[in-house]
Amino acid sequence: MDTYKRFLAENVLTEDKVVTYRFLSRALQVHVNTAKQMLYEFHRSQNAKRPGAVHATYLVYGTKRAGTRSTDGDIDMSSSAPEVESLTEDVPTSTLSLVPEERLKEILTDYAEVTSIHVYSIGPHPAKDMALLADAAHHVLTLDTVADQKGLAPIINPNVRRRERQGAGLKAAAATTQVKSASKPAQAPASAKVKEESKPAQPVQETVDKGSSGPTKKAAPPLKRGASSGIMQAFSKAASKPAKVKKEAEAPQPAQASGKDSTMQPLSDDGEDDEELPQAKPRSSSGFRSRKEREEALRRMMDEDDDIDEDETPEKEDTPEEEPMEEEPAAPEPVKEEETEVVTASTNGRRRGKRRVMRKKQIMDDQGYLVTIQEPGWESFSEDEAPPPAKSKAMSSAAPAQAAKLKKGGAKGQGSIMSFFSKK
Amino acid sequence: MVTLDEIADTSLLQKPSDNQPDLFERSESNYKPLDSFTLPKDRQYQQQFADIYFLRLAKIKPAVEEVAITAWEGTVLGGETATKVDRVLDVRQGQLCWVAGTVYMDMPLKPSVLEDVSKDRWISAPITADRYYSESGGESIMLEDDSGRVRLVGKVLRDYFLVTGCIIAVMGTENANGEFEVIDLKFADLPPQPERWSLSKPSSSGTTKKSRVKDEDVEMADSQPSKKIAIVSGLEFSGTDTSYAMELNLLLEFLLGDALDLAAQSELAHISRLIIAGNSIAKPSDHESTFTTTTTTTTATAADSKKPQKKYGYDASSYNPLPSQLLDTFLSTLLPTIPITLLPGAFDPANASYPQQPIHPAMFPRARAYAPVPAGPAASAEPGWLDPVTNPWEGEVEGWRVLGTGGQNLDDMCKYVDSEDRLGMMEAMCRWRCSAPTAPDTLWSYPFQEDEPFVLKECPHLYFVGCQPTFGTKLIEGPQGQSVRLISVPSFAATKEIVLVDPETLDVSRVKISA
Repeated sequence: MDTYKRFLAENVLTEDKVVTYRFLSRALQVHVNTAKQMLYEFHRSQNAKRPGAVHATYLVYGTKRAGTRSTDGDIDMSSSAPEVESLTEDVPTSTLSLVPEERLKEILTDYAEVTSIHVYSIGPHPAKDMALLADAAHHVLTLDTVADQKGLAPIINPNVRRRERQGAGLKAAAATTQVKSASKPAQAPASAKVKEESKPAQPVQETVDKGSSGPTKKAAPPLKRGASSGIMQAFSKAASKPAKVKKEAEAPQPAQASGKDSTMQPLSDDGEDDEELPQAKPRSSSGFRSRKEREEALRRMMDEDDDIDEDETPEKEDTPEEEPMEEEPAAPEPVKEEETEVVTASTNGRRRGKRRVMRKKQIMDDQGYLVTIQEPGWESFSEDEAPPPAKSKAMSSAAPAQAAKLKKGGAKGQGSIMSFFSKK
Repeated sequence: MVTLDEIADTSLLQKPSDNQPDLFERSESNYKPLDSFTLPKDRQYQQQFADIYFLRLAKIKPAVEEVAITAWEGTVLGGETATKVDRVLDVRQGQLCWVAGTVYMDMPLKPSVLEDVSKDRWISAPITADRYYSESGGESIMLEDDSGRVRLVGKVLRDYFLVTGCIIAVMGTENANGEFEVIDLKFADLPPQPERWSLSKPSSSGTTKKSRVKDEDVEMADSQPSKKIAIVSGLEFSGTDTSYAMELNLLLEFLLGDALDLAAQSELAHISRLIIAGNSIAKPSDHESTFTTTTTTTTATAADSKKPQKKYGYDASSYNPLPSQLLDTFLSTLLPTIPITLLPGAFDPANASYPQQPIHPAMFPRARAYAPVPAGPAASAEPGWLDPVTNPWEGEVEGWRVLGTGGQNLDDMCKYVDSEDRLGMMEAMCRWRCSAPTAPDTLWSYPFQEDEPFVLKECPHLYFVGCQPTFGTKLIEGPQGQSVRLISVPSFAATKEIVLVDPETLDVSRVKISA
């Protein structure tokens, strides 16, 4: 029973804190009314030992005597004319006052009847500024959860209804993230391996290089940001491993062996995946892509600024190769009908060329009538995505290069609106 | 006069005892909200506002004419019998007649759309004028209907509150100047009032208690709870102004029943519902906005010493989420023990025009768990435990028909008249049968096409208006025995007062909190 005395002594006398009854009730898991009594008893006993050791505030509830207006400087009556008051009915008014103990006597004289009084808080100093108390009181709210309020609050409501859907949804989401993070490490190293494998076999373009080194570079920041959430953990794990694999791959070793080594390591706790290593290739490439996609989604969410930088590089590269565009006669409403394409250049995944379109043209004939005719014409185009046949062009290099392209294309299309306004 | 000695031995000023403290069960709230002011999801703003006036006139005119006929039928003045004229345009000079129509007030300080157009102002700023009424006069009162408009003059007009949009009938003659000299004036008066419990049924526990009281249990009669409904407005949770933070805390503890002693707690347990009537979030102060701009400036200069770039569109950094967080905490702490009806107000995150639509529960990440399930297969007919509703709002609480607003309708009316008698204006609104007469003239409103929801079809038993400068209450009575309890709910931030209504007698009491 005396734990409260120790608690109060520690908090009030040693740590100079203001303790309200609600805080005490939450801290010791006692009913609020008991907490009020504890505060009173502690205040009494301490001041009996040494007067002025602790100072209390009281909460007084009752009806004030008629005619006593609140004396603490509430002068906001100017807006209402006195005769207006007479139009409203007089209604019983109860007043709830928070009073420092020094003013308790004085305030009590204003009351005609006090229905309830108790100690609200005790602190080591006289409570001058109620705002400090407000902080203490607000602190309690941050502690509150529904669970630990049971039995502490005097009023319960048996009819309370909560929305259940909410909780279920959260649980499901948590479960999926767990699954993800579990499956993540299995795929990530394997995919990294494939990437490294393909690297030496390939006359590496600048963009591809960027693309392949991109993930390792970019995957690092999430690690720094703190792996608090499930999905972040997944990425940080995945990110730390490819870096290691890369080092191994740089040593002139058979790629397969290095892959084996690196996959063995993280999967040692996950037995079955190790044995199926020969099958790992098709699966891993898909894993690679999905990881890319997820990474990209994450990046889109978080590093919008990175996107801007990324976007600008390919554009710069492209500009010198740009075709001298043929100026079409300005015709209203170009309507694409059938596409007969002539690709004049295909660089870095960007196709440029012309295609045949049908245009609507309005001319005025000799009688002064407007006539709309359809005319075949050429329209120059420049596209991001490689057409399907381009994929077969370079089999082994396709995966990383295309992934890089895909990523860029995606980032470009979905970049934030701010990228439009900045810097150009 | 209470002295320390008298209260010295109350139960809480004692040593802690080991008795298991009592738990009180909060009274059940009997509640059925109506969706009279809910707007369709696909809102169109292409329509003209004239339809609102037309619909209002069409709905209220028959009632006004009925009143006028009983009052003026066969009235003979100066050897002439008053005749009814159907349209304003049909009033003939020198003929004693009576006609019904919509009042239009032309006032020098009133914002005018024609003026905006003529001065090429196309973006309407929120109305800032404190008053449309000018001491120097210059206002004119017109009566109009779909045919035309006539200017009203006469001493009798000064005896009534008149604002744009209310429907009245006037008797008199048109003088040589083409003005209508008003001899007498009538309005529709209170609409028919539904019986108590016309939409909902008394809760089963309530009826069993009553029957038991009849049977044998005398004890039950004593402990028959006198329920209360708490109404508060203008909580104004603020990110910067903490001058009333302690009062808000005490309010929370008071409503939770954590504060006070057993006797008071058992009383507080009978507060069955809390209605928050607008302005739960404080108006963003000028100070706040300048503060944020200065901070952004300094950080920008510190960071890269170039001019603070003006971002296009919404600048998220100037948003202070604290007020809505505080409100969310307040609501989510209260909700486990008390159901809450939340009306939006002028400052709240809802649409600005009347009728304001409910504050979206997404504003309250914690309290949202108590909000109604959004429409869908899982949606139930039951109102939410936290019920964000429209402003104005109509519903049935403990069987009584309740009409409540966040206060904009009354505030706007007050700008028309040289009076602070807000209860009188509330009464006038009821008697005009229109809860927002100044919409759409000076009170922004949705351009209704098919329905004019501000017309009171049924007379409420309780009509409260939130966010008012002072508390006031009054009971008014209608010709058919209707009685309406009017309450002007003061803003909590300014007055620290809440209103408790006894749902058995509709008696009102108030609680003042001072810290």
